[in-house]
Amino acid sequence: MIHKNWWKYLGVVILLYVLTVGMLVPLKPGISDIDPSSVRTGETVTFKVWGYNSKFAQAQQPTRAWLKLDDERALSAERVVVKSDTMLEVEFRIPPYLPVSQKVQDFSLILDNDVDGPSVLPSAVFITQDSVDAARGEQVWVNNPVQDLSNVSGMTFPFRNILGETIRNTYFHVALWLAMFTIFIAGVFQSVQYLRLRTPSRDHWAVSYTTIGVLLGILGVVTGAIWAKNTWGAFWSWDVKQNTTAIALLIYLAFFVLRASFEDPEQKARVSAVYNIFAFAALVPLIYVIPRLTDSLHPGAGGNITFGSQDLDNTMRMVFYPAVIGWTLIGVWMATLLYRVKRIQEKLWDVY
Amino acid sequence: MKLVKEIVWLLHKDGLLEWRSGYALGGILLYVLSTVYILYASFEKIEPSLWNALFWIVILFASVNAITKSFVQESGARQLYYYSLLSPISLILAKIIYNVGLLLVLSLLSWGAFTLFAENAVTDNGLFFLAIFLATLGFSITFTFISAISAKANNNSTLMAILCFPLIIPIIMTLINLSKMALDLKIKANIENDLYTLLGIDALLLGMTLVLYPFLWRD
Repeated sequence: MIHKNWWKYLGVVILLYVLTVGMLVPLKPGISDIDPSSVRTGETVTFKVWGYNSKFAQAQQPTRAWLKLDDERALSAERVVVKSDTMLEVEFRIPPYLPVSQKVQDFSLILDNDVDGPSVLPSAVFITQDSVDAARGEQVWVNNPVQDLSNVSGMTFPFRNILGETIRNTYFHVALWLAMFTIFIAGVFQSVQYLRLRTPSRDHWAVSYTTIGVLLGILGVVTGAIWAKNTWGAFWSWDVKQNTTAIALLIYLAFFVLRASFEDPEQKARVSAVYNIFAFAALVPLIYVIPRLTDSLHPGAGGNITFGSQDLDNTMRMVFYPAVIGWTLIGVWMATLLYRVKRIQEKLWDVY
Repeated sequence: MKLVKEIVWLLHKDGLLEWRSGYALGGILLYVLSTVYILYASFEKIEPSLWNALFWIVILFASVNAITKSFVQESGARQLYYYSLLSPISLILAKIIYNVGLLLVLSLLSWGAFTLFAENAVTDNGLFFLAIFLATLGFSITFTFISAISAKANNNSTLMAILCFPLIIPIIMTLINLSKMALDLKIKANIENDLYTLLGIDALLLGMTLVLYPFLWRD
């Protein structure tokens, strides 16, 4: 039993691992907000800074803070007052001139202590200059570059500002999507085999895989919509990726309508195999080419780089890759169950 | 060489049938002209963005109507005759070429009718013609193949619509982008990107059609 079905157990074990680790591992401490976020030059400002998952009060050494201009130049804080684990008051003395020739310059806030490790809020503060003079800015600039950052070990997922805890959806939305594609490819392969060999079992396999692919696709869209609600603000915002996905699902629903309109089993199997291959070919430009040419909110479209290339760190990889394999294995398992139901129906009731 | 001969023979046959009955072309002309007239009567002055949408809606539905007939008109007996005479590749290629011609005539006539009744909203005529050509290519490949599929099932026109519209969306999305540029609704940028995408989709679908039709044509 375990010899023959080892991959099913593997799939279940992997998914349990993904669910526990993916849900329980905490996010890395980060900065959730800063107030005020816009100041003028020549002021001494006390910023209120809110941390996420942070332990400011438990740090052994005082928390350090910088406003970073670029890789070489940063201002360091005059004073850091810890109010609670998740709140700080940071005082910066903004020089009267900035060493840049723009009127408004954005600065990233960097915090560092020995418990939380370094955390960054990109473009946290916008400083407006009263008058632009880069040369005088260079003279009055007191440079305190960001250095000696503490190294904190421990298993955490990265903190991204808009994403927050929803970063865990990577293991569901993205993994389900990749599993769906694997299953669809398996379905197309079975359709090709049907056209070559003309054995009814190949048709059963093709339909089973395609059905499960559609199921995974619907789950992918639903998880994507939930993610969109939390990051873009609406479940469905008529984004090009959402539209093309809806159309892709329509193409596959048409597959089932097509099958329903045939009486003769051989003709049904043959025509639907032909359509399945054709539809898959039409799906590739729809999913992978069109969104790249259009503006989109979704990563991996309209010149956006994909999520994975930038934000997937090694801890996430340790969950994400197993998640893809796990969902695929469970998908294949469900497809084999469907296949067996079809075989039994054929044997018992002569229903094709 | 045999392929070319067969295709020319089939094109001649389809052209002759059309010439004698005038059924497809006449019906579609009537459809296009009456649609354009209704548009003119209700809008009088058509904005370029509306012009763009209406033009492609007219073309899309006229194309579906025109191409649905391509396999239905072949009777069972004639199909048997084809099996013994022709290769499937030449049959589908002839149908596609014939439909490209038909759709090209149809779209240019619609463009003419739009110009006559409303006005020509197109500012870059060359680009718009190119868009029309690539569109007719993609429409006729997809619709011809789908009409071959739906001819196998008996409930034709409904199935045709269900199968066609989702499959044609990638072509339409790229096309609308191109024609927006031709109508000055959008800044011209990366035209060749859209052209290559459209050409690539057309080539992909043509390749799939040629590979798959031999499995489909014969019961």
